[in-house]
Amino acid sequence: MESASQRPLLSPPRGFRDVLPTEARELRVIEQTLTGTFAASGYMPLEPPMIEYSAAQPAPERLIQFLDTDGSLVALRPDLTTAVARLVAQRYRETAGALRLSYFARVFREQPAMTATEREVVQAGVELIGASGPIADAEVLALLVESLERSGLRLDGSTIHVGHVGVVRRLFAPLDEEPRSEVLGALRAGDLVGALRRAREAGMAREDTARAQAALGVVGRGVEQLEGGDVEELRHVVHLARERWPGSVEVWGLPNIGLVPALPYYTGIVFEALHPAVGVIASGGRYDLLIGTYGAPRPATGFAIDVLRLHRALFAEGWRPATASPLVTLRPGDDERVTMRCAACLRAAGLSVAIGDVAETAGIALVAAAVVDERRVKLGDGRTLDAITLARELAT
Amino acid sequence: MRPLRFALAQGLLLNDALAALRAIALDVSRVTPGGRRLVVDGGGNVEFVLARPSDIATYVERGAADLGIVGKDVLMESGARVLELVDLHFGACRFVVAAPRGALERSLDEYRHLGSLEVATKYPRVAEAHFRARGLEVEIVKVAGSAEVAPQVGLADWIVDLVATGGTLRANDLAIVEEIAACSARLIANPASYHYRRAEIAPLVEKLAEWASSTQR
Repeated sequence: MESASQRPLLSPPRGFRDVLPTEARELRVIEQTLTGTFAASGYMPLEPPMIEYSAAQPAPERLIQFLDTDGSLVALRPDLTTAVARLVAQRYRETAGALRLSYFARVFREQPAMTATEREVVQAGVELIGASGPIADAEVLALLVESLERSGLRLDGSTIHVGHVGVVRRLFAPLDEEPRSEVLGALRAGDLVGALRRAREAGMAREDTARAQAALGVVGRGVEQLEGGDVEELRHVVHLARERWPGSVEVWGLPNIGLVPALPYYTGIVFEALHPAVGVIASGGRYDLLIGTYGAPRPATGFAIDVLRLHRALFAEGWRPATASPLVTLRPGDDERVTMRCAACLRAAGLSVAIGDVAETAGIALVAAAVVDERRVKLGDGRTLDAITLARELAT
Repeated sequence: MRPLRFALAQGLLLNDALAALRAIALDVSRVTPGGRRLVVDGGGNVEFVLARPSDIATYVERGAADLGIVGKDVLMESGARVLELVDLHFGACRFVVAAPRGALERSLDEYRHLGSLEVATKYPRVAEAHFRARGLEVEIVKVAGSAEVAPQVGLADWIVDLVATGGTLRANDLAIVEEIAACSARLIANPASYHYRRAEIAPLVEKLAEWASSTQR
């Protein structure tokens, strides 16, 4: 018994994992690309805390919670949008103009055991707060697509789907508020059968229900057959977004009326990025009512990319990060001072240098070199080169 | 991209599911109920995978299969996040609360007295959600099978079970207290697949919906 209880625990808790150097290095490359892309569109970084009060979170069932020492119930943040909404309501209450905020952060969600789901997720995203209208919606949609393409994801015509919660709401306009919100709740849960049944039970006419059912299946050019200002808005936003980021595919952005996200706070344009191997990579949309629940109503739109899924999608496509320059592993000479000076000289020439051997390369190519003198090394092929020549050679 | 993968529940629903797929002109000839091959080619870039009913929801939720045919009862118990696209109407059954015939008054007395009832079920999630919504305080006793004997042997006061004809309840001298939900087979889809592979999936959904409504006339 005693020996069993003293055996050290080597694995992290379920749903959490170690990110090893090869993957971590790839994630850093993605992080730099994404944060650089956000910054290039005027989005300022923001770092809300890891822990928030549970009572301030909209969906308690997915929280990982614990008691603070003062007895208050706190939770690891389940997303950033809620934290940003809270923060904006507190710090930017009097700000009239548009706020462009971005983040790259870990979030935590409770998941049932034995389902191979992660409880720690990395999200990269932006929030555009205080701006409304098609230009704002298109800006955020285009920025998502730009971010994905700059990261190396290959888009096709079915990658980006764009819907509109307002269109869906209007399809069930004949219903009273209560049955209608039940219908929308069923749609958010993915239960199309239950939603249509509830609509019929609540007295919606057979032809109205049939029309709603048909509209919920409409994708692509089919939206041209639908009427309504919100359908026009949806098409307009997709067209504008393509102007902002034409992208590498001829036509990206598939209008999809049946796209109804699970999160309840969306109010207008919504969108998702899908990948055949990993599912939903990113999602976002307009949420004009969320910040108001913290006491400072403000129109807002944004998106979040699931960075680990983006990485898996890139991996599935054979993506590798732009090759880092090789690492010189320097075999010390007899004189330790000369070894250190030689290493300094190589670094000054712009090379990456490790003294001694390297057990974990994280996928980086190694170039073995032995110290000759303060500025020269001998390579494995027998040549002796000075630091500048070696640097020039490895750069090509 | 791999073929469109269609997960089918082995067991009671399989023959009806195969009949539905045959009716919409899918080639199910290689699917042999009770056979050993569990992943079979369906022609035309479709393949079928056979699995236990409760695993169908998992397959489709995780995207291991794009589409599936499974009972609403299984979906309710699993809580899987999938799209329910079409009610196929076959495999009809009901989740019910049942109590020993003539003992309803007694158990309600007991509830008033002791403040709680014991409920045996194979479907703890469905049972718990139901009683929470009704505001009734119950203790769930999960059993792996034959919940209907639980009241007889004193394991629990009531049961929550799935009934088709009610024959088993009658044979065990149980009466239905209330119905929780009516269930039947559903066509389900992985949400991401449904959107991403709409061009392949939409015609199948349309034809199955048409077939399902034709069976209702």
